[in-house]
Amino acid sequence: MPTDTKRVRGPEVSQSPSLFLCKNAVKKSTASNDARVDGRQRGQVDVRSVFVRCGLISQAKGSAYIEAGNTKLICCVYGPRETERKDETDMKSGRLITDMRFAPFSCRERGSWIQGSDEKDLSLMLLESLRPGVCLQKYPRSQIEVNVMVLENDGAVLAHAVTCASMALADAGIEMYDLVLGCSIRQEGATYLIDPTFLEENGYNLASGSRENLGSLTVAFLPSLNQISGLQSDGEMGEDTLTGDVRTCIEGCFKLYPVIQQALSKAVRRKAPPSES
Amino acid sequence: MSPMKLCVPGDRLCSTEDCMPGTGVYLRHGYIYSSLAGYVLRKNEGEELPVISVVRETEAQLLPDVGAIVTCKVTSINPRFAKVHILYVGSTPLKDRFRGTIRKEDVRATEKDRVETYKSFRPGDIVLAKVISLGDVQSNYLLTTAENELGVVVAHSEAGAQMVPISWCEMQCPRTHAKEFRKVARVQLSICRPEQGPVGGVHPSPLQQGPLSPSSRNTQLPYL
Repeated sequence: MPTDTKRVRGPEVSQSPSLFLCKNAVKKSTASNDARVDGRQRGQVDVRSVFVRCGLISQAKGSAYIEAGNTKLICCVYGPRETERKDETDMKSGRLITDMRFAPFSCRERGSWIQGSDEKDLSLMLLESLRPGVCLQKYPRSQIEVNVMVLENDGAVLAHAVTCASMALADAGIEMYDLVLGCSIRQEGATYLIDPTFLEENGYNLASGSRENLGSLTVAFLPSLNQISGLQSDGEMGEDTLTGDVRTCIEGCFKLYPVIQQALSKAVRRKAPPSES
Repeated sequence: MSPMKLCVPGDRLCSTEDCMPGTGVYLRHGYIYSSLAGYVLRKNEGEELPVISVVRETEAQLLPDVGAIVTCKVTSINPRFAKVHILYVGSTPLKDRFRGTIRKEDVRATEKDRVETYKSFRPGDIVLAKVISLGDVQSNYLLTTAENELGVVVAHSEAGAQMVPISWCEMQCPRTHAKEFRKVARVQLSICRPEQGPVGGVHPSPLQQGPLSPSSRNTQLPYL
């Protein structure tokens, strides 16, 4: 009898795991408009505290891991190495190649290992955000590869990917003009939610009746040079709201900056303890 | 030297009036910013301004640059050129291999048109070369060995033993005493390391005497 090789069936006595799932309370925010599900405040620059660590992957030239709430990402950097495809060799500057993938277990629904179209989109946005920060003209004829893998998606994935990737680049010793930090915001009516979780991003906890000024924004920011390298916006927002949100995201990035600096310093110290000479 | 200060890319270190920029930094609007995550090093160069640079312990991000002496391994030869893999830039090993080409006319300085690559290199030889050009989009790095100090440093004979240089164009196998043609490099004493033991007693480490020590075996060496 031909066996069905494409479907992986569990043993006969298996039960669906959805029976055992604790239902996350997707309640309407009947509570006061100020509190978010995880205890942070609306309308304030209250980013999730991050855990970052560099240099955990020995095979890669540089690597970084970031955890913000439940969002977990890991990034590896390889290079500079010779460009693989001859027709893409650039004589004057190097090339930056970014690749962002979601692990199949990262979202609520199991994904596939093959890169989907939104992963390609995010990779492109990551590339645009990182490229102004890297001194590519110091690496002619070479390519630098940045691979980001999302281990768990709980919102603000692009923003944290940008931060993680720039930390990995700094850990790899690639010359950069500045670190690139990312911050994400979700606008709902009159208030905003900075660094939204997955549920907040997809509008499951809609405050009652807000249909205008509904959208999200992700900003990639270079703190020392005070420049924005990437901006991605979704939804409909008024002009003033949008500019206000950009400023709020920049504030969020500044809050993140000291943590990233400390993590990088620790990584440098770990790799090479300060010499006495 | 004062205790090393750590910095991350984008840190403003000082203004151009206080220091001169070294490696790992960049200039912007009259200030010096760091471009690496590492230790800040301030070196005093005498009466000039001190040089500030940022260092990381690994210099493995070095790329072959024009004029750099590189150590490479020959992968294939062809009547017109030899293809090599660049392994070291100066004394720093590269993590990733870069490819290079040594054209026939760049093998040596004299009689460029009468060079036979088969008599200059063989696949598997370790060669010291200099980068003359980054090449263009289609080609690899262009290298040259047209100097006395450049050329083959380590080669194995057809019998498999490591050969000993006897002149600028010949090397001899210590086991079979067969001579093979190579474009040999004149390695300075400070660079060369003593080879493993006396090589079969044929030539007790000619590198100690200098490979071009006047001896009756050496032909007139047409070095420029």
